[in-house]
Amino acid sequence: MLLDYDRMGGLRVALLGFTALVAGFLLLPVVFIVLLSFGSSRWLAFPPPGWTLKWYQELFADPAWLDAALTSARIATMTAILAVAIGLLASFALVRGRFAGREILRGLLLTPMVLPIVVFAIAIYAFFLRLGLGGTTIGFVIAHTVLALPFAIIPIATALEGFDKSIEDAAIVCGASPLEARLRITLPSIRIGIFSAAIFSFLASWDEVVVAIFMASPSLQTLPVKIWGSLRSDLSPVIAAASSLLVGLTLALMLVTALLQRKFRT
Amino acid sequence: MSVETRRNFGTVRVPAGLNGLLPALILIMLFFVVPVLALLLRSVTEPEPGLQNYAALLGDGTYARVFFNTFLVAALVTIVTVLVAFPVAWMLAIMPSGLASIIFGIIILSMWTNLLTRTYAWMVLLQRTGVINRTLMTIGVIDQPLPLINNLTGVTIGMVYIMLPFMILPLVGTLRAIDPMTLRAASLCGASPFQAFRRILLPLSLPGVAAGGLMVFVMSLGYFVTPALLGGTSNMMLAEMIAQMVQSLLNWGLGSAAAFILLVVTMALYALQLRLAGARRMSGGI
Repeated sequence: MLLDYDRMGGLRVALLGFTALVAGFLLLPVVFIVLLSFGSSRWLAFPPPGWTLKWYQELFADPAWLDAALTSARIATMTAILAVAIGLLASFALVRGRFAGREILRGLLLTPMVLPIVVFAIAIYAFFLRLGLGGTTIGFVIAHTVLALPFAIIPIATALEGFDKSIEDAAIVCGASPLEARLRITLPSIRIGIFSAAIFSFLASWDEVVVAIFMASPSLQTLPVKIWGSLRSDLSPVIAAASSLLVGLTLALMLVTALLQRKFRT
Repeated sequence: MSVETRRNFGTVRVPAGLNGLLPALILIMLFFVVPVLALLLRSVTEPEPGLQNYAALLGDGTYARVFFNTFLVAALVTIVTVLVAFPVAWMLAIMPSGLASIIFGIIILSMWTNLLTRTYAWMVLLQRTGVINRTLMTIGVIDQPLPLINNLTGVTIGMVYIMLPFMILPLVGTLRAIDPMTLRAASLCGASPFQAFRRILLPLSLPGVAAGGLMVFVMSLGYFVTPALLGGTSNMMLAEMIAQMVQSLLNWGLGSAAAFILLVVTMALYALQLRLAGARRMSGGI
């Protein structure tokens, strides 16, 4: 009875124990970093000798951190908007179009997801150096949109596949123009997919390190580049404070996703 | 409504549907395909036309060690990830949904947390005076701090941590798709739990394990951040070497050639994985 939860006996205890251990392993760095950010030891002693907010004060006192966070937010927002718009158009064509080479085109659009990021990073870095786009916001947005596109296409196309097209056709029969039917019937029906696409492509840019390391200039740094630079010089607790704020943001995103999914489903 | 308008919006099955693909195709061709091809070109033209960059990479012992090390780390990470992920996915597939959603929540939290944040946490946890060494010393398991960072151990722990969600989540789907009745039938026919596991559960879940494992292997091969921060200089991986060749040594010819080797290996394995998983399922069902 290996797939019957109620009749597994001792095996269930062992497997549940192991699962709990792995869950603890997955949770450990996240919880640890948050605790560490409130610890008073500059040398990251743990458990800390006392508790303090001074790393957060140091973080907010340094305009470079805030600047990097705002740069990241700006680039990630533009990337998400572009990736969702382009991904939406492409998904309709991929799901509904019936043309030769559809599979190949789909594969091509999803390739940036599987190609090792370092290969793309040096390729686009060299390319943008020639075009004069290195270290510019527009260069960042273009490179990140390429990387985010698969993460936009997959959820939208999946949602679109699950949508019964005859509902859209019915709206057209009832007098709606095809565009109107799409905007008012189809798009609202696949909003979970669009919303997931927006979150995933935002995160794809917000968290992106490798392309950013190559593209960054002294005047244009994203948050991951700033963290990367600090990590290479020392393991200051200020990074823990910045990291904890990122964990907070992740939790907020998860909460919003869960709430919206519940709302959409009912 | 005329056929013409329907055609424009791609609602009928004609190639007009291609219009929607144009922005995506322009983006990918111009800013993905062209730059990557230009890089490939550089690998055979710099510093002079010819294959000398590839000859240098494949003929030199130092580079051979990096290639070997890259495969070793990726293989080790894949094996550990599969072994750890399987029991967890198994439990997640059958446990009550309330409990399962807590575990899923933890997995998503870890997966969505900033990559550098997670790596930073492991750097602090694993260092000589870090929590793990101190705890082990306090409870008397070891007398000397273990070298857990800047070596194979550090990279493996950090990478397995990152890869686990990518293995667990698809595997839950594979295991849920197995009909529990097949196992009940086995047990009615007198199979011991071990026999049922080895002869039924394992073979039925093998396609999922193979597809997930191959994905983890492919992702590990090209990984940059975690090996660069948790690994040591003696076991450098390919992605880090490529970045160094280009960024520090400004040797674009050699760096491009190494990048192209990584690209070919990755794409070949990816094609294999698509065949294993069934192309439709792995790309999210589209």
